[in-house]
Amino acid sequence: MKFKKIVSLFAATALLVGTLAGCGGTAPADTGSSDAGTTAQTTDSGSSDAGSDTTAAASSSGAMEIEVYDAAANFQGLQTGWFDKVIKDRFNIDLNIIAPQVAGDAIYQTRTSSGNLGDIVLLDSVDFADCVKAGLIKDITADLPNYPNLNAYAEQISTYNAGLEGNNGEIYGIPTQMMNTSPTSYSQDVVYSSPLLRWDYYTELGMPDIKDLDGLVDVLAQMQEAHPTNDAGDPCYAVSLWPDWDGNDNMLGIANVVQLTTWYGEKIKDSAILKADGKTFTPITDKNATYYKMLHFLNTLYRRGLVDPDSGTQDWNAACAKMSAGQVNLFWYSWQTGFWNSQDRLNDGTAMIFIPVDDQTYYADADAYYGSGRVFGVGSGVDDEKYKTIMEFLDWYASPEGLEFQHAGIKDFTYTVGDDGKYTAINDNALMDNLPVPEEYGGAGYSDGNNQINEWIVNAASINPNTGETYQKDYWASWKAATLTQMKKDWAAKFGAAEPAEWMKKNGKLVISPNVPVALASDTADISVIRNQCNETLCDYSWKMIFVDDDATFDAMWDEMTETLDGMGFQDLYKFDCEKWQPQIDAKNAVK
Amino acid sequence: MNRKKLRGYREFLYVLPFIILVLIFAYYPLYGWVYAFYDYKPPAPLSKDLFVGFKWFHYMIDNDIKRKQLLQVLVNTFAISGLSMLFSWFPMMFAVFLNEIKCKPYKKFVQTVTTLPNFISWVLVYSIAFCIFNSTGVVNSLLTQWGVISKPIMFLQSSKHIWFKMWLWLTWKNAGWAAIMYIAAITGIDEELIDAAKVDGANRWKTIWHITIPSILPTYLVLLFLNMANFLSNGMEQFFVFQNSFNKDYIQVLDLYVYNLAMGNGGYSLSTAIGVLKSLISIVLLCTMNAISKLTRGEGFI
Repeated sequence: MKFKKIVSLFAATALLVGTLAGCGGTAPADTGSSDAGTTAQTTDSGSSDAGSDTTAAASSSGAMEIEVYDAAANFQGLQTGWFDKVIKDRFNIDLNIIAPQVAGDAIYQTRTSSGNLGDIVLLDSVDFADCVKAGLIKDITADLPNYPNLNAYAEQISTYNAGLEGNNGEIYGIPTQMMNTSPTSYSQDVVYSSPLLRWDYYTELGMPDIKDLDGLVDVLAQMQEAHPTNDAGDPCYAVSLWPDWDGNDNMLGIANVVQLTTWYGEKIKDSAILKADGKTFTPITDKNATYYKMLHFLNTLYRRGLVDPDSGTQDWNAACAKMSAGQVNLFWYSWQTGFWNSQDRLNDGTAMIFIPVDDQTYYADADAYYGSGRVFGVGSGVDDEKYKTIMEFLDWYASPEGLEFQHAGIKDFTYTVGDDGKYTAINDNALMDNLPVPEEYGGAGYSDGNNQINEWIVNAASINPNTGETYQKDYWASWKAATLTQMKKDWAAKFGAAEPAEWMKKNGKLVISPNVPVALASDTADISVIRNQCNETLCDYSWKMIFVDDDATFDAMWDEMTETLDGMGFQDLYKFDCEKWQPQIDAKNAVK
Repeated sequence: MNRKKLRGYREFLYVLPFIILVLIFAYYPLYGWVYAFYDYKPPAPLSKDLFVGFKWFHYMIDNDIKRKQLLQVLVNTFAISGLSMLFSWFPMMFAVFLNEIKCKPYKKFVQTVTTLPNFISWVLVYSIAFCIFNSTGVVNSLLTQWGVISKPIMFLQSSKHIWFKMWLWLTWKNAGWAAIMYIAAITGIDEELIDAAKVDGANRWKTIWHITIPSILPTYLVLLFLNMANFLSNGMEQFFVFQNSFNKDYIQVLDLYVYNLAMGNGGYSLSTAIGVLKSLISIVLLCTMNAISKLTRGEGFI
């Protein structure tokens, strides 16, 4: 009797498991049973997803919903506002953006194991290579030549794809931010990271020459002494840091510090620092290298009372609000000026601008001829109709019209077209102040409706065939004329160059690292654990070290950190990273 | 016999839905443990990964630094769990005193106010904490205005008394909610007992001490033992939102450690391995507590 009960229980269990296995399309167990199985299943779930999505979307607008897995996006959900209107008018699609930066990286694992990452996929190149290997990306070789705007970059696209492991000429990915200049030229006026100071504060101090980092600290201290608060009465600081970007962009350590290393021509490649000669590596834990130096610089600032005490606990939004409120006296990312420099401020001389420090040479990546590292692809699960729409959309995304929307904004709202066909920027605070767009584009805020994909196939500094000028307004003749303010003139008179990058080139202070298409090795399971643990340890110690009161403690903590890192397997990681980046370095030196 | 058999089947069908639920939600996920024995790395499916046996279990403790870190994590877990265990009488006493309030509206008000925080998510709690305690927050502003301090105190950034602070936040959020169980138990006490005690001349303190508390003690003990079995799982949300580089050494509990490892950069296999160990230890703890309960109270709770 009892035995029979047990038997029936088992029978029920078996039945249940069978049922589960039968319907478990999303269970990781079933996905990878065999290659053929995976593909079949992927297609299944892909099309059924698409079906349900389309019906869901159809009820509201009749548009096809395209899922965009987007490693660059800071926004998750359906694209809204004017950019949505633009693409809906042309392709009748809705973009449903899935952003690991918002949802957390775990979404990558769950989505890949379900076999359907997204309809359009935007990934870092290492992840992209993994996904190609796992069969998640569609082969677009046959169709690419039919799309003229994409095919204009055929050389760059095929070079990138040739670098994928085991590739025999198939095309899977389209690199982002490609340019049509050359791999060694540098077309921009500013470099990504350099010291930027308030011009009015700097002139107040009598435009002192800054010799080295100590000189910079002194200048910043004097600035803060003269202006302890902003106009609203909130305290000002030399720097306000934020921890939420730590360990990003292929660099171990505090995101705010790793960029500063480029002030001395050195560039962090994961756990290694590429020295200014562009050939040798040194571990990030090297006391003579720039990570230590710049961390120490921040610590010196702290000891002089120049670091925002909330730095270690605030998030990016809080830091950003302080930048926009004028509470921060030193910027170091070129894009940070976007949160402060308005036309008005450029006119009255209160804007931020590059001030050279004598002993620095600045590292800059050359024009992204072969792309900037991220890659667009099409999910392997899309059906034919959707595939066609996606390719048309991507082609438009790389077309002059699409790029004008992405980089210049809306005609007659953010720019006007003159009689000579050249553009003139208007409403340049549209993004900063979220101005309402014209009714025909839906009338909502400009920033709210901005393109949330946040990554471009063609770089903003590329030349627009319609105007013969760049897509982005900063290099338009009209913009240059408009921004040639007294401040800019004074700056040019003082430093003898029109733009920061020009000054750097003139004085031999710019290290340009050529753009090369090299596919990088992806982490093994061991390395990925070690990397994560090392990064966490490095960041934790670094933050604590910024807030210590004397050199002895600073050095003691550095040594303790090095020891801990070694225990985590840092040496293995460093070895791995050197080997990982060496092909890229070789290629760069070959181009030079 | 046959009818009995039929009844057996019918009764089995009654219970079947629950068996299915348990199987799906409690046993099926255990399948995920296999990840601990592979070099799993997305997007490659498990079938393409390498079987590595107990490698990740060794990895946790294969040198001093790692052992030290794991030990610190365990110490944090035990300290924070221990602290809440030590103060586990707090909700009970809170319920007892709440019950003594004679003014009904006031009693309801207190109960509502203390229960509400339970429904606020930890993320919001942290936002509130940041607004109150950052360098220009309410507390620092007031202290500076009154001239108590000249430099803002970085409350959230220090690791001093972090265990105790975490207990305070947890209590603020949970005390009202936890008291509900005791309030229910108190309502169940026979009124006659209390009346009898009053006739015998007991004052309020004495009724509390000799009647109320002994009556709800069994509830307290069961909850305590259950908590003990859950000693290693003190959740991660609270510590996740409050963690930063300055307090991480002391705030990183086991659940958070697992999360940081896995979600940070895909150490899925290693964190699964830690998860497996945690489950095993928890089972041992539960059985031990059950045995202790049998010894002390004469009955187990499972």
